[in-house]
Amino acid sequence: MTWKYLIPRFRRREEADMQEELEALAEIAGRRELGNLALAAENARAVWGWTWIESLAADIRYAMRTLAANPAFTAMAALSLALGIGANTAIYSFTDAALVRSLPVWEPHRLAMLNWRCKDFPKVAHSFSGNNFKDDAGMTSGNFPFPAYEVLRSRSDVFDVLFAFNRAGRLIVQIRGQAEMGTGVYASGRFFSALGAPPAAGRLIDDDDDRPGAPPVVVFSFAYAERRFGVAARAVGQPVLLNNTPFTVIGVAAPGFYGLDNAEIDDIYLPLRLGPLMGESASRYQNSNSYWVQMMGRLRPGVSLAQAQSALAPMFQQFVLGTAANEQERKDLPALLVKDGGSGLETLRHRYSKALYVLTALAGLILLIACANLANLLLARAAARRKEIGMRLSLGAGRMRVVRQLLTESILLASLAGGLGVLFAAWGIHALTRLLANDSDTFTMHAELNWNVLGLALALSFATGLLFGLAPALQATRVDLAAVLKDANAGGPAPRRRWFFGFSMRRMLVVAQMAISVLLLVAAGLFARTLNNLNSVELGFNREHLLLFGINARNAGYKDAALAQFYQGLQTRLNAIPGVRSGTSSNFRLVSQSMSKTSIELDHPLASKEPNTAYMIVGPGFLTTMQIPLLAGREIDARDIATGAKVALVNQKFAKTFFDGENPVGRHFKLGKDEYALDLEIVGLARDTRYSSLKEAIPEIAYFSYTADLSRLYALTYELRAVGDPLALTSAVRRALQDADPRIPLSNLTTQSQTIDATIGQERTFAALCACFAALAVLIACVGLYGMIAYNVARRTGEIGMRMALGAGRGGLVWMIVREALALTAAGLAIGLPIALATSHVVKSFLFEMKPNDPLTLAAAGAILLAVAAAAGYAPAWRASRIDPWAALRHE
Amino acid sequence: MLVLRTLVFGPLHGYGIAKAIRSASDEAFDIEFGSLYPALKRLELKGWLASRWETSESNRRAKFYRLTPAGRKQLAAEHAKWSDFAGAVRRVMGPAPGEAQ
Repeated sequence: MTWKYLIPRFRRREEADMQEELEALAEIAGRRELGNLALAAENARAVWGWTWIESLAADIRYAMRTLAANPAFTAMAALSLALGIGANTAIYSFTDAALVRSLPVWEPHRLAMLNWRCKDFPKVAHSFSGNNFKDDAGMTSGNFPFPAYEVLRSRSDVFDVLFAFNRAGRLIVQIRGQAEMGTGVYASGRFFSALGAPPAAGRLIDDDDDRPGAPPVVVFSFAYAERRFGVAARAVGQPVLLNNTPFTVIGVAAPGFYGLDNAEIDDIYLPLRLGPLMGESASRYQNSNSYWVQMMGRLRPGVSLAQAQSALAPMFQQFVLGTAANEQERKDLPALLVKDGGSGLETLRHRYSKALYVLTALAGLILLIACANLANLLLARAAARRKEIGMRLSLGAGRMRVVRQLLTESILLASLAGGLGVLFAAWGIHALTRLLANDSDTFTMHAELNWNVLGLALALSFATGLLFGLAPALQATRVDLAAVLKDANAGGPAPRRRWFFGFSMRRMLVVAQMAISVLLLVAAGLFARTLNNLNSVELGFNREHLLLFGINARNAGYKDAALAQFYQGLQTRLNAIPGVRSGTSSNFRLVSQSMSKTSIELDHPLASKEPNTAYMIVGPGFLTTMQIPLLAGREIDARDIATGAKVALVNQKFAKTFFDGENPVGRHFKLGKDEYALDLEIVGLARDTRYSSLKEAIPEIAYFSYTADLSRLYALTYELRAVGDPLALTSAVRRALQDADPRIPLSNLTTQSQTIDATIGQERTFAALCACFAALAVLIACVGLYGMIAYNVARRTGEIGMRMALGAGRGGLVWMIVREALALTAAGLAIGLPIALATSHVVKSFLFEMKPNDPLTLAAAGAILLAVAAAAGYAPAWRASRIDPWAALRHE
Repeated sequence: MLVLRTLVFGPLHGYGIAKAIRSASDEAFDIEFGSLYPALKRLELKGWLASRWETSESNRRAKFYRLTPAGRKQLAAEHAKWSDFAGAVRRVMGPAPGEAQ
């Protein structure tokens, strides 16, 4: 057939032409001569092949009319399915962002990432900076010694280009006197050309820029250039100061190019060999035992990952063997692992994959409940439409024709739900992003409704429409025509089809819904209790009214004594701000997943062979500002800071571990080893506080003043205790800093509460999401239960009337009906609870201070479900008890 | 093939084609118009026939079908195939069995 016939106008014209022709022929030949003209015309239409379009259009029109005629049914079915599809689409958009999406570069499938694997941390790596990911079998990392890069680069038959890069961290970027932070990355000369990333303006880093002693140049990302210069192209040729070192911007990368790590958007690209300008040691480019540089390669066309692996692994093995100095180092050498690099560094994958799998499973359960609901509603309706369908079948409609028509209806319904679901998903993505980002501006998981995600929504709607419309459609058309048509009672009792133990298909569906709801309720309960446990962890300090922000004056050029002096001066200015009760500083924030640990030496023998402690470098009045009780001695004050006194505070755990619980005030210990050792006098004993996270046990902590060892002084976090809302101080703080030195930006301004909440972001997200999911599941399941009970009540009107006429009490009738709801729920519990018990260990790693089979949670889940089910059953039961027995019987 | 063949001598309308087939086969093929008409539409869709409204000899308007060049080629091909087949059948069958005895 020709496609133009999809348009009704062409079909109509052809049709009219045919009618005219047949009439003309009839006039010539006489009607009898020609036989059945209508049949001839119908067969001719079939030749054109548009009968299916016509009947599809008719089906859709009819389906729309039927759906519009039952707004309550349509709304209920579409809404519950829309919620299911929406939840799945939203979760999938995050999965897509974290696990599926490729880098926005040229031919990402030809990129290969180089990693190494080792059973334990390799002894041959004398120094290591970067990320490593541990699993049961060992550890994986992508940080290599620079000489390894040079060795592997010499091989030319595997890669078109092998390029290197490395994090440069947060840099102070000064442009025309304005200082702000930016994220930097070192890139080798072939970085951009290998990725196939074009410049948006100027030129990008090439080999000539990436050599020791080359003129200092940088490339900005499009977004960063636009932010700092208004128009991105204006950045080209401009001088900038990076950590107080002059550079020239030579170009801007294309919009949308974010580097290789989807967890961190890179703002500034510096040539790899210019590290020494930024204070990196020059020896790192020669040292074969210093692991830091990362590598990626563009495979030659036709070379597979396996081929690359087998070509490069022996080269690397030989290289590492040459760098091992002794037997111990040779025992567990890192082995090269070539992985697919198309999705970049996969930091998000490592961080979120497990959580996303769990959430996907939970969202899938929601969809399952919604589908069961849809099937249930369709079954109920098919039963109600038996008469209509029976009539159509007896008038000669083919069974497939009727099935097709019913399927059209369910697919239309599912498409409606899909459309609504996408709206829900858009809202859900927005809400979830806010929940996950937790007010942090560095959150980079950009979930969106792209074609990939929309495709999933579309597929889900069609699959659900087809799958869950098919069974009811087949059942509806399998009818005994005579019985249906004879039955005066429209939609009369369907022949009950028994499945198991006398449960009909509809009851099975309700039981399944209840069982799934139990699973989701248990999950929600576990995560809510986990969050509650985390929130009730005793901190040991007061988290309220604390404003925190980071200052890095060292990167702005201050050194040693001048640095300490700057920090002290700033503290004085900050403490003078009206509304600041007191202020202090430290080298990082408490309970922010950061920590410093080092070995210590004591002047008396200890049980532990390698004693070590956590520590924190603090400013004056740390205990006062944080409101940590001082148990003995005195705290570190402004005078200690000014004089550079080598004094320390320790916590109770420290005193208990190293001094047997005796008062440690006045005792000495050495922090660190050998020439780096710092001899400190303990001047006070502080109460125990949480250190790096809520989940970890309190370690031994030593606090010492930031002037005690100036070589350890880098960036500081200032903590200000406010009288009222800490964030109200923000502008005054900025002014104070501006007065002290306008070249230094303020970074990561938050409150202590936000900082702590950020460390339990995943738990908060899980608790909130699962509570939503569970509420949704229970709601949908109860709609299903309610629908079924109400349907049964309607069907049994006559029987109920009879019972009442025979003297049944109202209470008895209500109980009879509610009992059915409770029985179905109990059956659901009997199936769901064991499944919950068996599967809850999957989420064990997400729980805190509780077991996966927490009895309280299980009991609560059961109780909630029974209560809601009773409510869902009570409404139709109450209605049944109002039935007028005479009216009901007369109807019979 | 029969339809195409009848149109070799010139355009005909639907009923004309039916009559032509009937008379050419000495009433052996009496094709019902109900079957012929969809066949016409099928051939038209394949591009072997073209149709146009014309006035007949008896001064009546009707839709006339005629062979297109593609239809002519198709007819030639089918004709060759059919005569091969008919020839083969004739060779196998030989002279009528009654005469041989």
